[in-house]
Amino acid sequence: MRNFFELWRREMGAYFHTSMAYGLGAIFMALTGFSFWRMVDRLARMPADAVNAIGMLFDSPLYWMAMLTMAPMLTMRLFSEERKTGTLEMLLSAPVSSVQVVLAKFAGAYTMFLLMWLPTVAYSWVLRRFGTAVGVDFGPLAAGYLGTALIGGFFLSVGLFCSLCSRHQMVAGLLCVAALGILFYTGLPGRGGAAWGDFVSATRHMADFARGTVDTRAVFWYASSAVLLLFLSVLLLESRRLR
Amino acid sequence: MALRGVSLSAGAGEVVALMGPNGSGKTTLLRVLAGVLAPTAGGARICGFDVCEDSLKARRHLGYLPENTPLYGEMRVAEFLRFRGGLRGLRGTALAGRLRFVLEACGLEELPKAVINRLPRGLRQRVGFADCLLHAPEVLLLDEPFNGVDPPHAAALRQVVRAEAETRGCTVVFSTHQPQDAALLAGRVAVLDEGRLAASGSPAELAAGTGPAAEWFAGVAVPGAGGGKEGAAAE
Repeated sequence: MRNFFELWRREMGAYFHTSMAYGLGAIFMALTGFSFWRMVDRLARMPADAVNAIGMLFDSPLYWMAMLTMAPMLTMRLFSEERKTGTLEMLLSAPVSSVQVVLAKFAGAYTMFLLMWLPTVAYSWVLRRFGTAVGVDFGPLAAGYLGTALIGGFFLSVGLFCSLCSRHQMVAGLLCVAALGILFYTGLPGRGGAAWGDFVSATRHMADFARGTVDTRAVFWYASSAVLLLFLSVLLLESRRLR
Repeated sequence: MALRGVSLSAGAGEVVALMGPNGSGKTTLLRVLAGVLAPTAGGARICGFDVCEDSLKARRHLGYLPENTPLYGEMRVAEFLRFRGGLRGLRGTALAGRLRFVLEACGLEELPKAVINRLPRGLRQRVGFADCLLHAPEVLLLDEPFNGVDPPHAAALRQVVRAEAETRGCTVVFSTHQPQDAALLAGRVAVLDEGRLAASGSPAELAAGTGPAAEWFAGVAVPGAGGGKEGAAAE
């Protein structure tokens, strides 16, 4: 466990030692801030439409733009950079297990992801302080954050796996964008056609969450998929050690 | 296949140099010993622990310096060493004590707050050495440790390695293309060629012999090789 925390702390440091965390944070805040502005604007015009307005924060093109770009950007360097610079060899010669390495890197990226969402909690305060007349229901807001955390975890695990597939972080990032793009496109309403397309549809799940509906099937789908991808990442890292 | 039928053992306090042309399998052998590469056949043991079966236990006993000294360049020297010490189970006063020791031993006592990426090659190499020595390992595996390091820095680093072997009984296996490094530091030299162990012996024995192994030491002052060469190579 101590090794996990050492590795996690190093991952966090790697984000903040460079301008990456700050740049990503700024882009992210711009996107979510604009979503919030649109939401408030709609609430001002249609106060009775509170639930749908909250949906604009969690289920809008800007929201998905943020989710689909942040995941590759947060994860693409995790393993690819270490493989390219040779530090992975140095890391794996220390008494740390592949499970610890994968989990710590995932935890680092996930912590960054959650930290980026943290300032948006201020939006809730703004709504409570200035939107009492509107009567905003905080249930959908909480469910929206839960959905974001689940979908974010899944997207990050996809990115982490992709990062193990290439030495070049740009290639790893593009792989992640392609994988998430396929998942996203398949799940769009009217796309995919098959029932499984509807089942994996992040947009549908998020629309449910943003309405305040927590579907345990969706919770299980994202949690189990993330665990499976992390498990595959451990296997891939072990196989890299063997080559 | 990078290695074929290489059989080698080294005892406590022994310093073994791996020599051979490019692609002869020196780095592969060190990577197998370090547990970062699994052999397709055969095996390796560090302090009695199989590097594949008991990989974590084996890795607790070794310090490994890969070729080109990969380090987390964005970190500061002491910060990096604390991180690495933490991974090896060093905490609190034990870590602080070892940190002071390696910084001094590697001549980095003035640079604990220096950002690694801003250090010249020789000093980065010293940071790599400090990392290897931090947990006082029983085995040191060094891949081309003096490559690209200027002579004064290289001499200082050789002194550090020698001290580890002589005072702590640390086993050192290092690869080099420089016969001078092998002559100055190693008690035994293993010459690899196309993945096979082509020759093995002390630098003096190899230098005095005939054949391809002796060619490596042609024109090099080797302690104990006779011909008035002894002492000429001493540091």
